Amino acid sequence: MKNTATTNSILKTLQATQMLDTKPVLPAEILAAILEYLAVPDLLRFARTSRRMREMVYDDTRWVARLKSMGVWDEAEARKRFEDAVRRRRELSMSAGAGNAAPGAGRGGPIPHGQNPSSPVNKRESLLFDAGLEEERRRQSQIQQQQQQRQMLDGFETMTIGAGAQQPRPVPPPQQQLDPSRDPEALLGVIKNAKSVRGHARQEYGKIYGALAPFYFDLVRARTHTDPLVFKVFRDPDRQAQMLANLRTFAKSDWADGAPQRVEKLAAMTGIFESAVLREFEQGYEFWDVDGRMNKYAHVLDILNGSNAGVELFIHKHPLFSDREVLANSMDCVNQAMADSITLEPSRRFFEMLTRKVNEQAGIIERIFPDPGRVFWTFVDKIREDVIVEYITPLFDETHERSIPSYLKAVSGIFEQTMLFLRTLTPPKGSDVNQEEKAKGLALKIFEPHLDLYLQDEIDTFTAQAEKEVEEWDKKLSEQDASVESFYMASFANRQADKKDFLTSFKKVVMMPVTVLPTSLGLPLGSPFASSKAAAAATTANGALQTPSQQPSRSQSPALPGTLGDRTSSPMPGKAPTDELAAKAALMTSRLEGIKSLFSIEVALSLVHTAKASLGRVAVFIQLGGQAGGEAREQCESIFVTLLRILGNGHVKPGFDKAVAHLSQYNPREVSEHDRGGVAPLVTFIELVNVGDLISQMIDVFYEQQLAQPKIADRNDFLDPAGMAKKKFEQMLDESVAAGLNKGIDVLMDEVEYLCATTQSPTDYNPGGVTAPDSILSVNSIPGMEKAAQSQRPAGAIDIDIGPSKTAQRIKDLVASHTSMLVGSCDKSMLDVFNGEVGLRLFTAVCKHLKRQRISTEGAIKLIADMNLYFEYIRTLKNKDLLAYFKALRELSQIYLIDAKHAKEMATIIADGDRFGGIFRAEEVYEYAERRADWYQVKREVERAMYGLECSIM
Amino acid sequence: MSDTKVSQISLMSNDGTTIRVDRAVAERSILIKNLIDDLGEDSVADQAIPINNVNDPVLKKVIEWCEHHKNDAAVSTDDDNDNRKKTTDIDEWDQKFMQVDQEMLFEIILAANFMDIKALLDVGCKTVANMIKGKSPDEIRKTFNITNDFTPEEEEQIRRENEWAEDR
Repeated sequence: MKNTATTNSILKTLQATQMLDTKPVLPAEILAAILEYLAVPDLLRFARTSRRMREMVYDDTRWVARLKSMGVWDEAEARKRFEDAVRRRRELSMSAGAGNAAPGAGRGGPIPHGQNPSSPVNKRESLLFDAGLEEERRRQSQIQQQQQQRQMLDGFETMTIGAGAQQPRPVPPPQQQLDPSRDPEALLGVIKNAKSVRGHARQEYGKIYGALAPFYFDLVRARTHTDPLVFKVFRDPDRQAQMLANLRTFAKSDWADGAPQRVEKLAAMTGIFESAVLREFEQGYEFWDVDGRMNKYAHVLDILNGSNAGVELFIHKHPLFSDREVLANSMDCVNQAMADSITLEPSRRFFEMLTRKVNEQAGIIERIFPDPGRVFWTFVDKIREDVIVEYITPLFDETHERSIPSYLKAVSGIFEQTMLFLRTLTPPKGSDVNQEEKAKGLALKIFEPHLDLYLQDEIDTFTAQAEKEVEEWDKKLSEQDASVESFYMASFANRQADKKDFLTSFKKVVMMPVTVLPTSLGLPLGSPFASSKAAAAATTANGALQTPSQQPSRSQSPALPGTLGDRTSSPMPGKAPTDELAAKAALMTSRLEGIKSLFSIEVALSLVHTAKASLGRVAVFIQLGGQAGGEAREQCESIFVTLLRILGNGHVKPGFDKAVAHLSQYNPREVSEHDRGGVAPLVTFIELVNVGDLISQMIDVFYEQQLAQPKIADRNDFLDPAGMAKKKFEQMLDESVAAGLNKGIDVLMDEVEYLCATTQSPTDYNPGGVTAPDSILSVNSIPGMEKAAQSQRPAGAIDIDIGPSKTAQRIKDLVASHTSMLVGSCDKSMLDVFNGEVGLRLFTAVCKHLKRQRISTEGAIKLIADMNLYFEYIRTLKNKDLLAYFKALRELSQIYLIDAKHAKEMATIIADGDRFGGIFRAEEVYEYAERRADWYQVKREVERAMYGLECSIM
Repeated sequence: MSDTKVSQISLMSNDGTTIRVDRAVAERSILIKNLIDDLGEDSVADQAIPINNVNDPVLKKVIEWCEHHKNDAAVSTDDDNDNRKKTTDIDEWDQKFMQVDQEMLFEIILAANFMDIKALLDVGCKTVANMIKGKSPDEIRKTFNITNDFTPEEEEQIRRENEWAEDR
């Protein structure tokens, strides 16, 4: 082990080293450490032993440390003085260079002096307050040394000389200097007046020590509380307190042996003094001698130690805490209200009273205490603890037991009242406390114990209520016979306008505050919506659109629409938009009868309202900020998420699923009526898409108004649970819509094909062709059609109408009505896809249909008209790719127009791929050409032209 | 290098005597602790660590102190400046321990300084401070072997300058 070897060698080397035996003389650093422990007098005696020791003792940091321990050393001030000094020295050196240095430089700056008491040696030190001046003088003294041959022992002498030399400067005569040992006033301010001067910490400390040490050591030696010099020199309690405070500060710089005992003694003496003062204060209190004794002794206590004891006494014995007028019974809130509900009127009165009383006290506190702001808030804190908490806790407990909804209302409402109370307090002037912050802190303290339970209850209640609502609706639905489902076609013309209208009203209602504070009407929770439902019922009833039995969705309305309806009619501010919304909702619902079995916009609206009520209650807690505020915010988001979950998965999605199921079961052959212009389930479904879109927009508005605007949820945070839930909801809606549309296209095309098969008469495209020999086959194949055609018009009659055929017209109407229904209710891109698909499928259907027909040259005109009709329709969809197909179709239809004589040209057209934009190949066109009524007559010609042409080229 | 902790180590004073002590005791000295950390367990397991500046009686005395204080909480190094000021008083055992002649006292302080035993050094300094208490400059000079290089005038000057601190 090499390592060991080397380390061994190190140890060996160490072992081999010989140390000279030294005489036990302590090195400087140990001496310095020892000096730390010396009492001040010993320290200065030590300084007298030798020059080196003096340097060590005089070291400035040693004294700065003592000043610092008393909290009178200001590093910033010291630095400033030092920098000033440097600057002044520079100026001085410049003027010194000019030659006439000394007297001119003496006026270098204003010299503070006179006001400061000095130590007994103040004759020499009285002018040494300013480091800058001192530096200055030191320099001058160097210059003057040549003129004045006096010996200088140290800087002090020099400075005196320097000062003496500067005659123009007004030097206060030393006699005017206040001697602290003789002037008690000066003693009081000695700590306050201490300066932070680098290089002069010792002198500054000396001043303080000189002033206070006699009192300090005297007090420590004193046996009874009447002995100490402090109480003899000062008669006034104010000054005694000041002096004791000074001594306490001074004691901090005493760390020599035995200091703890001295400090303890001082504390004991202070305690005796304090209790005496407190007694005086208490007596004043009993006589309510606000401006006299209370004021006086509160100030004494403040000087002594921040008057904590006085404040405690004042608050503890305050009559407000036993004031019967204030201490109301919180049960009034429950008792004065109807069963299972709560009125916050008594609590409002309680807080009003409290506000008045506390604000009264603020004035008194201001008159008594020197630091009214702090005292006031301590007082308010006590009020919180003893009055408010006492008031609300039983109320919350009681309501929680009786009924959760009133509990929720009570917590939120009282919180708001409390915040109002705390904000309307008028703290005494001169208080630098941020009232808003303070109010939040206090409110948090009051509500912290209730908050968790409350938030949990809130979301539980909301979830339960929402689920109940959906469930009830489902139950009602299943009870009702599904077969009575009536097919109701809404007028689609102004759908978008309707929706916009509805949403505007919705927005208005959403923005309305839920808990308008004086809820004096005592309406149950969620009252705005309850009444809106009632109004909805009323409106529809008045409109007499349907009898109530025909409106299963109406049965959502509360059981007592009459009474509630009456209440709604009472003029209440802020109620109007609700009614407006209700009316519009009713109108909307009446239009949407067709989908009432799938889902109800009323249910959605009701859910949103419940959510809004919950959210409104929780949101007031957000202002608390911090953790509690964060929790409240999270709860708001989770209420929103729950709303979406229940509304989306519980209500909207099943509706869509059902609609899609209906769609897929649809068979056009089983439906008797086809002349109503729409496929019933598809119309229903599209209606559904509309309502879904409406709900989605509603949610969007709700999100914006309730979550994004008050900054509960962050719109830009893609991880935000509320935002995520909203996206998920929208996505779910889109998926449902897409799935439904997919099915819808199938259904639509089935219908189209059905229409083609059942309504297109063979004579449409082949007038007179019934008699043609080659059409017998086709007629025989569809005997029903033949009969229909026969019945429709006399056989052989030539249709001279050149407009499009009835079938084409109907197909176009059918498709157009369904596509247009979707406009504005779903995503633009989805609509495009849908339209594209519909167009393509329509194209296929038409082609298929075409191949089944026989077309004569005369009938071609009709066909062309049909194709033109389709083309025109497709053009409205503004889909270029799609248009190409129908353009090709239009071109294709022209081949039937060509007279049999021009078979050659026909062949050219058939072979001309460009003509059809690449949609049809020549073979396909050829196939279509086969559908000509006179195909067998022209076939040979065409084929010859087509293939023969090639031959001739060969 | 083995991981086993050596439980006892030997210290050798400058006159060659070796003393075996518990490792925990020896590690009250930061010097020894760092030495063991740096050199590794093996090198100190079988060899005595020389404490060259300290003679046998003083080393014994220092170890005695360390034995008594081996369970003390480690002094925090950052704010010790403050702590020291707060705890100026010497506990009873230490007071008795420090009742030695002045030469020995100084030796202990020097040893504590050399071996980096902060608490012991503090106790020593406090003891010396108590010795100085109430002494005249002359007595102080004698105690600490200081030569007076002041003229009488200079000395008088310093006295006057600091008159404020004298007991009245």
